[in-house]
Amino acid sequence: MRDHTSEPVTVMVVDDHPIWRDAVSRDLDAAGFRVVAAADSVGSAGRRAAAVRPDVVLMDMSLPDGSGTDATVAVLRASPGTRVLVLSASSERDDVLGAVKAGASGYLVKSASAAELVEAVAATAAGQAVFTPGLAGLVLGEYRRMSATVDRRSPAPPTLTDRETEVLRFVAKGLSAKQIAAKLTLSHRTVENHVQATLRKLQLANRVELTRYAIEQGLE
Amino acid sequence: MGGTARGRHDADPDAPLWRASQVFRLVTLAYAVSSHISTVPHYTRPGLGWFFIALLAAWSVLSAVLLSRGTQRWKVVALDQIVAIALMGATRLVADHDWYSNHQTMPTTLWVANAVLSAAVLGGPVAGTCSALVMATVSAVVRDQINLDLWRDATAPVLVAVGVAMGFATVTARHAHRQLAQAVRMAAAAEERDRLARQVHDGVLQVLALVQRRGNELGGPAAELARLAGEQEAALRMLISEQGTRVDRGEEQVDLRALLRARAGTNVTVAAPADPVLLERGRATELAAAAATALDNTALHAGPGAKAYVLLEDLGDEVILSIRDDGSGIPDGRLAEAEAQGRMGVSKSIVGRAEWLGGVAVLDSAPGEGTEWEIRVPREAPRA
Repeated sequence: MRDHTSEPVTVMVVDDHPIWRDAVSRDLDAAGFRVVAAADSVGSAGRRAAAVRPDVVLMDMSLPDGSGTDATVAVLRASPGTRVLVLSASSERDDVLGAVKAGASGYLVKSASAAELVEAVAATAAGQAVFTPGLAGLVLGEYRRMSATVDRRSPAPPTLTDRETEVLRFVAKGLSAKQIAAKLTLSHRTVENHVQATLRKLQLANRVELTRYAIEQGLE
Repeated sequence: MGGTARGRHDADPDAPLWRASQVFRLVTLAYAVSSHISTVPHYTRPGLGWFFIALLAAWSVLSAVLLSRGTQRWKVVALDQIVAIALMGATRLVADHDWYSNHQTMPTTLWVANAVLSAAVLGGPVAGTCSALVMATVSAVVRDQINLDLWRDATAPVLVAVGVAMGFATVTARHAHRQLAQAVRMAAAAEERDRLARQVHDGVLQVLALVQRRGNELGGPAAELARLAGEQEAALRMLISEQGTRVDRGEEQVDLRALLRARAGTNVTVAAPADPVLLERGRATELAAAAATALDNTALHAGPGAKAYVLLEDLGDEVILSIRDDGSGIPDGRLAEAEAQGRMGVSKSIVGRAEWLGGVAVLDSAPGEGTEWEIRVPREAPRA
């Protein structure tokens, strides 16, 4: 995490629609972020992320040469310190889970207002997870799916603590972190940590799973 | 023949049949020549016989080439009939009555079958049969053997059989070719439509989403435009995403997510797992109806600008459906009051549906804190 009081947060926008790239870049510039690069494909996203190492990447889910998940993998491989925020259409919500498991740290729908976008980019740059109710529903569902389909050969799947489940359900029902904190008499910060933990465990499990698969296939 | 400006392939579905029948023609030519060699000693005018056989060979090769190439086939086929008839007739010029009345005519029945084949491939079973009957009649007349004794003389039945069979084969081949060509054209058209739809939709969706954002920022009358753009965006997205996963496939199991998402819009957010939540059709519709009742109530009573959130959770043997709004909430006692007055309220409808499904529905509301319904039902119908 960087100290963004001294230097503006750098952002790269990945979207194959020029109208969007321009609109989003304008909003971010106006809010004091520095849009340092744009990319319109999985290939260029990886290459440019390696060159400019942005703090935050705004990621569209459908690109001409692959999915946002592929691009997330490419960006994080090229620039591990970068944080990926998926900015996507609501119809692509099921794919968003793939991007999040691959390491994206949040999800925002494209119809979100400029103010919401600016807030989400700032939160992402600060290391927080940006959740929509939709993403919370997907993550909850994923944990339940994993615990329902345990197979003996693989390590035990990650599980949510009761508190994490509680917090995630509130997020999925549209409550803000502040409202959740008030309801559970926790600090705002603690709620944020719970939400982040649910993502971190999911991403870790995904990496373990991928490694195990690679070893099984004799790729490593 | 057939097609006009279309490609050769498209216009000539029976080219393989033509080529195959030309192979037959050349084989029969060999047979006719060897048959001639063995019969020529019996002819009265062997020299003339050889001349006709040379003519036969020349015509066989020429017609085989012309028919394979496919230019003006009907002329070649017509000429084929004439040549066959003429050669049969020529038998009378080279042999005496004793001979030709007891043997087959000169170019041999087998070779004459070529004329029948060409007619059948060109014009189908009717043309094939006509040609066969003509050839059989000419053969009988030439040999002066007009009798109906089909046991001794199989010329007519064999030729008719060839004509009918080949005619039908041609018709079938053309039909199959037409259908294939049509299917290919339709597939290409559908693919192109899909591609266009994707591109157009994609562009339109981007613009609608942008109008929604900018409109909301500008406020005032522009906010109204934003709202409209948002609704259209949601509707269009629903349409596109449902192309892949249709809600109603007439199957017993229905994905409850799809039923709920049909209600998603600017003011309604639906959160659900990434995998389909399959329920028996009746149960899924009943749950979706309960959610719709709760959402309608939100739209009616929660106040302007209230947002609703639907959360669907799949616990395996149980399904939890939560419908929350951030509106004004229900004042204490109002529901009970309405119920006491005997009005069949929203509450009763939702609770009733949940109970019918073997589950429970709980309402949680406080003034200023919105309303939340939590409906828990078993996945399978309870056993009676």
